[in-house]
Amino acid sequence: MSRLSSADSRATSEEIPATEAADTEEAIEVDEAREDLLADLRAELGDALVDTHIDPGREVWARVSLESWVAAGTFARDGLACHFFDFLSAIDWMPSPFGRDMNSQEDLIVDGAPDSAAQAPGGAAADEQATGYAGGDTRFQLLARVHAPSRGLGLILKADLGDDPDLLRAATWVPVYAGAAWHEREAWEMFGIDFEGHPNLIHLYLPGEFEGHPLRKDFPLLSRRVKPWPGIVDVEPMPGEDEATVDTSEADANEDATEAAAE
Amino acid sequence: MTVVDPQQRAYVASQAADARVNVELETGGMTLNMGPQHPATHGTLRIVVRLDGEQVVEAEPIAGYMHRGYEKLCEVRTYPQVTTLVNRIDWLGSFANEVPFILAAERLMEVEAPPRAQWIRTILFEMSRIANISLFLGDMGAQLGAITPVFFAFRDRERALNLIESATGGRFHPNFDRIGGIKDDLPAGWVEDCKDVMGRMRDFCDQIETLLMGNEIFASRCRGVGVIPADVALSYGLSGANLRASGVDWDLRRDVPCGLVFDQLDWKVWTHPDGDSFARYWVRLQEVRESTKMIDQLLDGLPAGPIMAKVPRIIKVPAGEAYVETENPLGAMGYYVVSKGDLVPFRVKIRTPSFNNISIVPWVMKGVYVPDVITILASLYFILGDIDR
Amino acid sequence: MGLVESGKMPKPMTKLLNLSRKYSLWMYQWGLACCGIEMGAALASPRYDMMRLGVIPFPASPRQADLIVVSGTITDKMAPSVRRLYEQMPDPKYVISMGSCTNCGGPYWDSYSVTKGLDQIIPVDVYIPGCPPRPEALLDAIAMLQAQIIDEDPAERWKGEPLVVS
Repeated sequence: MSRLSSADSRATSEEIPATEAADTEEAIEVDEAREDLLADLRAELGDALVDTHIDPGREVWARVSLESWVAAGTFARDGLACHFFDFLSAIDWMPSPFGRDMNSQEDLIVDGAPDSAAQAPGGAAADEQATGYAGGDTRFQLLARVHAPSRGLGLILKADLGDDPDLLRAATWVPVYAGAAWHEREAWEMFGIDFEGHPNLIHLYLPGEFEGHPLRKDFPLLSRRVKPWPGIVDVEPMPGEDEATVDTSEADANEDATEAAAE
Repeated sequence: MTVVDPQQRAYVASQAADARVNVELETGGMTLNMGPQHPATHGTLRIVVRLDGEQVVEAEPIAGYMHRGYEKLCEVRTYPQVTTLVNRIDWLGSFANEVPFILAAERLMEVEAPPRAQWIRTILFEMSRIANISLFLGDMGAQLGAITPVFFAFRDRERALNLIESATGGRFHPNFDRIGGIKDDLPAGWVEDCKDVMGRMRDFCDQIETLLMGNEIFASRCRGVGVIPADVALSYGLSGANLRASGVDWDLRRDVPCGLVFDQLDWKVWTHPDGDSFARYWVRLQEVRESTKMIDQLLDGLPAGPIMAKVPRIIKVPAGEAYVETENPLGAMGYYVVSKGDLVPFRVKIRTPSFNNISIVPWVMKGVYVPDVITILASLYFILGDIDR
Repeated sequence: MGLVESGKMPKPMTKLLNLSRKYSLWMYQWGLACCGIEMGAALASPRYDMMRLGVIPFPASPRQADLIVVSGTITDKMAPSVRRLYEQMPDPKYVISMGSCTNCGGPYWDSYSVTKGLDQIIPVDVYIPGCPPRPEALLDAIAMLQAQIIDEDPAERWKGEPLVVS
């Protein structure tokens, strides 16, 4: 079962009926309740439902167009019985340009001592701006989850916001779910998303003079830029463990390298 | 319209006189700032309350005094390091914070913890609920002016903390869960000690019931105060005992299967139709009792076996997204983990119950009196680390 | 107390005053986070009773307190309140920083909203390491502070800045 599949999951339901699926080695599970939920959503939204993904027995994702964000929420509440508002937030899909500014023992074993001049974010795949379930075309994505207690199902909604961090705008969900007010304030504060129609879009967590939007990937954690991670220590192997699995020579070399680079 | 009945006439006259006095004594509104350092606000919550006389016109909570930036910090820490950090969100029932995160990571890695580990996790999960809510039971009395139950609560809570400490090594912040299982097995004699402590916790619940719930003052201060109807509660995302006290029969332990073994136990979900502060207190008291019974069942049925599945020493979680929500002591806590196949998570969205629980404060506090503000806050029960992350 | 401020107190009187002060500390508890619960356990729990050391933990306001135990993470939003509270306390005052968050930022050392240590805002007398430190560690810190108090020169404590109310 491909995990980042953006293919329409409905196609799989017609292939193998559920009873036979239990016999085959790689069973393709059919989650009928969630399929029905997606079918209702598709009937209501039509083209505005851009992409879907089902993790059988667990979750269902639906990506809608930004213009139909409020319509999707309203239908979820009224048509799909999703009365419980779980959360609303956003994801910034850009790989962090700063890396982690830290090397734990695991990093050294996995990646080797990094080049202190050019901190690669680790892993070749990190250069691409891959997106997750139900796809995604833009850097910023809205993410929300609602739940239907009577049906025992939840629905995760996503919407593409755009690439330009200064022009992020979405309609507010406050008329649909009253609890979205605080979540949208937090999303504005952390990502810079402007919610149109929100009654009170001011700082929630951060002091008034704070500049910047912290959860964006290009917002650095300054302490990490300035100070090397204090956690690197000389690690002795556990009793019974052999020396080969814990190689501290790279840690020492790295420490010398960062000290030299810091001067 | 002429009023002929003399009694009625006297009543109407007194009402008219009252109205005249009210108009003459019209006072300007006053803004009262409660917090951020206040004994009643469980930490650093600041509530700006606009008053008209003794009645609240508008109440606005200002959070953020304990905002530590968890979601950003999780993006630069490896999964075991995130487990350590995440203990400190709900700092009273710490083990319960790790569980949804570990379950989400295990879901992405397609690893299942062995049965013994799942049972021990469930035991500690319920133990953290007892440690957390027993403090609430005593503390709500303290908010209303009854100082004695707090000492009872701390004394009996110490016993639960002793147990957690002997199993995990830490009174709070046990950092005991690992991807694929738990860190260590239970020490010898723990099961018997635990059964003994559960009996004492049931005695504590009975004591608190006679001390507080039978108390006339407590009842009159809590009944009918802060009524939250079910549909409002759902649209604000209230969860946990707050939701069940409004009559919604929903408990994530029973309704959403995850890696804990609640489906193998015989237990009951407690609801209350009223939705006021008394109902919220009552539901939590019953839940503590139910937890003690669940732990007894768990101890009886504890399977033998390994406590850790086979996971690589260096944990790299495959790419994907997972959301796991569990019924934590404060409500429904969930972690939305986005992984890109790296040592660290790409984005962790932490859904904390107190955030939603407190967002209802502006709605519920309209028109209540100032002492009721404290009652409602105490009954909604939040932890600052949970609101502010 | 002009004699004390100017430092002209005779030594035995100093010792006596110090003795009386060290056994009657009024503690203002600034319990912010998890360490606050351990502090509460040290105070209100019958097991780690703090009152046996002479520390009374329930002053009604900071103006009646001479010891403040800051326990829990201090954020940049909270820091002005801590400073103002410290300035509201009259001399002589003592500060205990409890837990690693107040010592140096703790597990949140790289966060964008956390003050990396209480000593960036106010002067600290005793640091208690731990996350969270056990209640016995807090009792040990108070005993350490008391050992500091008995030997100190009160004139130094009183010669501090004037009482500022911002």
